[in-house]
Amino acid sequence: MALVEINNVRKTFGELEVLKGVTIEVEKGEIVTIIGRSGSGKSTLLRCINGLEQIDSGEIRIGEQVVHAKSTDLRKLRQHVGIVFQQFNLFPHMSVERNITLAPILAGRVQKGAAARELALKVLTQVGLAEKIDAYPEQLSGGQQQRVAIARCLAMSPDLMLFDEVTSALDPELVGEVLKVMEDLARQGMTMILVTHEMGFARNVASKIVFMHAGKVHEQGPPAELFANPATPELQNFISSTR
Amino acid sequence: MREFGIFDVLTMLWAVQWTAALVVIALIFGAPLGLLLAQMRTSSNKVLNLIALCILQIVQGVPLLAMLMFFYFGMPMFLGVQMPALVSVGVVFSIFAAAFLGEIWRGGIQAVHTAQSEAAACLGLTKWQGFRYVVAPQAFKIALPATVGFLVQLIKNTSLASVVGFVELARAGQLASAATFQPLMSYACVAAIYFAICFPLTHWSRSLENKLNGAR
Repeated sequence: MALVEINNVRKTFGELEVLKGVTIEVEKGEIVTIIGRSGSGKSTLLRCINGLEQIDSGEIRIGEQVVHAKSTDLRKLRQHVGIVFQQFNLFPHMSVERNITLAPILAGRVQKGAAARELALKVLTQVGLAEKIDAYPEQLSGGQQQRVAIARCLAMSPDLMLFDEVTSALDPELVGEVLKVMEDLARQGMTMILVTHEMGFARNVASKIVFMHAGKVHEQGPPAELFANPATPELQNFISSTR
Repeated sequence: MREFGIFDVLTMLWAVQWTAALVVIALIFGAPLGLLLAQMRTSSNKVLNLIALCILQIVQGVPLLAMLMFFYFGMPMFLGVQMPALVSVGVVFSIFAAAFLGEIWRGGIQAVHTAQSEAAACLGLTKWQGFRYVVAPQAFKIALPATVGFLVQLIKNTSLASVVGFVELARAGQLASAATFQPLMSYACVAAIYFAICFPLTHWSRSLENKLNGAR
């Protein structure tokens, strides 16, 4: 059984139908990259997966849980599904350590104090920022902030991580360090769904590419296949426009 | 008749404690109520929002003096019991503080980007935890200068309690003036005491504001 099953999901904002029946399956350990033009519904889909947005019809299932079912405790669900945003959204009034340990402490996963600090150090080491444990977000570069945001997710040891255009707000020279962290995660077997404009990353790391167009999955498949032989003119256009 | 002297000044300074008492009462009851109103105003529940809005509109639309008279002279007719001045005046200033603090804090809460509470929710925090740990500390910092500024308004407005005979600083000044027939000295003294209390607060509020703007 797939870890994530997105089944015929529809979503409208007012008059505008953003998702027009989207179906995607994600196996455990898969890296699924969603590409497409702005406004094709990529980010909305990602926000639906962890219940930030309601859906009009269809179903999203993660593990045993149906995300939009009334009985689902979204809080519990989100403790297993991390999301990293384009704008980092670190808490500016907290140190890096506190940013990372707040959720695990409140969820009762780790004791306040030495144990929490150890957890923060562990995940910061994973993103290569152990020395920044006592810094505040404003003292960090964009790339470092985004790596802390990734570490903050990792501290909850999620089963699934969502990445919403996480490099789009970064200066070009800082993109690489964030992508490298994500590659490391991919290599360690983390299940990831990411929306990105980094075609190089999509090509080299993804196990599956989903091309969205006009609120639908237009084409999907392994990157080598999809990039070499795009079946539709829309994808051909998209690929040539991103080169 | 006697001369205006040190005795009158001391009486006025003594009366400052009742001005202070009113301020403390207004804050003790008004602050939690204000926080509740701010929560209601920022909640997604339309009914709660509307109730809070109605309360705020009424309090902001009625002069404080009229409210004082209503609660001191009007309410006893309705309830059939004369309440002590401290009670009716305390109630009015609590409501007054709640309404204005509520709006100040609502502004602070709304100035914290929704992405912050979204990020908190995405980490599995409850709504309350998100407010308590993520939104409130940031909102507090933003709203602090205006809160201190309101405190100055509150202190000055407690002088209105004198109309129902509550002896705080302004009323003590009236009494001194009546006893000595020296209104100039009496009220100058009253004004000086208010100023001595409020000026440092105004100054503090301004420096907080500069610090906040500088931090951005």
